[in-house]
Amino acid sequence: MKERIIELLSAALPMVDLESDFLFSELDSLGVTTILMLLSEEYGIELEARDATPKNLKTIDSIVKMVEEKLAKQ
Amino acid sequence: MILEEKIEYFAKLTPDKAAVICGEQTLSYSCLWERIQEKAQQMKEDGVCKGKPYVFVATQDADFIVTYCAVHVCGAVAIPLERSTPTERQQQIIDETKDFSFASDTSDVLYTTGTTGLAKGVIISEIAWKANAENLIDRLGYTSDLLFIVCGPLNHLGSLSKIYPTLIMGGTLYIMESLKDLNAFFSVFELPFSKFATFLVPSSIRMLLQFASKELAAVSTKIDFIETGAAAISQHDMELLCQILPQSRLYNTYASTETGIVCSYEFSKYGCVPGLLGTPMKHSSIRIDEDGKVICSGKTIMSGYVNSSELTTQILKGGEIYTSDIGSIDENGMLHLLGRRDDVINVGGYKVNPSEVEDAVSAFDLIKDCICIPAPHIVLGTVPKLLYVPKRGQTVKPKDIADFLKGRIENYKIPLLYETVDAIKRTYNGKLDRKAYQ
Repeated sequence: MKERIIELLSAALPMVDLESDFLFSELDSLGVTTILMLLSEEYGIELEARDATPKNLKTIDSIVKMVEEKLAKQ
Repeated sequence: MILEEKIEYFAKLTPDKAAVICGEQTLSYSCLWERIQEKAQQMKEDGVCKGKPYVFVATQDADFIVTYCAVHVCGAVAIPLERSTPTERQQQIIDETKDFSFASDTSDVLYTTGTTGLAKGVIISEIAWKANAENLIDRLGYTSDLLFIVCGPLNHLGSLSKIYPTLIMGGTLYIMESLKDLNAFFSVFELPFSKFATFLVPSSIRMLLQFASKELAAVSTKIDFIETGAAAISQHDMELLCQILPQSRLYNTYASTETGIVCSYEFSKYGCVPGLLGTPMKHSSIRIDEDGKVICSGKTIMSGYVNSSELTTQILKGGEIYTSDIGSIDENGMLHLLGRRDDVINVGGYKVNPSEVEDAVSAFDLIKDCICIPAPHIVLGTVPKLLYVPKRGQTVKPKDIADFLKGRIENYKIPLLYETVDAIKRTYNGKLDRKAYQ
């Protein structure tokens, strides 16, 4: 899943360093929205504003964890 | 000095009232005025003086308001720059403004791509700021009990213009870095204020509607008004916003750095019509020329461009600004915007000149040719897309190009979409054939 998310996000957000340990600080509002949109479409999960926390979007690993948790709840 | 005079006035009248809030920091009117005076004193000692430019990066915090006002107290000209402005470009701006002879009533210079498609310094007078503020107060109804949330860049007219009516009326500003942390945005509504308002570009409204409609509905009774502008908002989004915020006043505004704030239309009251921007405000007038272009006049218009009398005379003629916008005026005197008559790409309110992007890419060794075109985007409406031809035998990834462009042009100008092509279409005389990509 991590590779697929990196593939998706690197195509949509070419300016962002996805390997960063401070990913959220690299993002602007468009970046956050793009991540929420792409992940909800790709994995059929419902993502909302409350999911877009600095903690959930801190690193690629934390994003993967967020998606896994959403999938587990479905 | 209208802004600074009013801050001083309220520092005496309502000294303890919150003037600016940013995160954990709150500056009362008396504290704000004190800090402005201290900063102005320090600036004067450092040689900042009347008529001279003061170039600084627009931080998204209370310090920005202090610095911005202190520049004016010194009688100097404030030139706030976008945070991602490359260092070289900052130096260019310092160089091109340092010996410029500013008129005595000059307040600011705002750098924008705007009406002409070229990055230029727009000179804004004190009279224009006062007129912009009065236009907004009169049409949108700013009041002293309002908390206005600023979440856009303070070096742009869209957000900077909201400082004036808010503080002139003795209200409170809440400054956010951006809208990316939606939870932080909604936490502002927990503050003990009865009325909230904000300015959101259409892409931010789309984001809220898509991911936070429940949260928005939950604060609907607190939102006095929302103003949008700088780019086209869809009928669907206007209607959805009206449904979620049935008690709020919702406005679509026509403005640019060159024209100032000209028209605004309350679509929550009069109906959701795409491109409808209402009647001119009290200090503004509009007309349409024979080519269908929108022409604006009144006290809000710019004084001219820095160091470019030729460009100034191209769009500022006889006290009127000739925009690149195509529009019409209906029988009720309302402005309908139909599009633009140039190549500028409007990215969520930021204007991007494709030539500037192509020039920057041309310095990239591994690319033979390229063109920057507008492309549809689900959030922003339109974004710059780069079609490029790598040099023979070379593979160039989009990230390589984006990384190359970082620091060379502002972040919002960097294309979000990329496509490798075999060749770029050109006209018979070798110019980029932009029409072929429309």
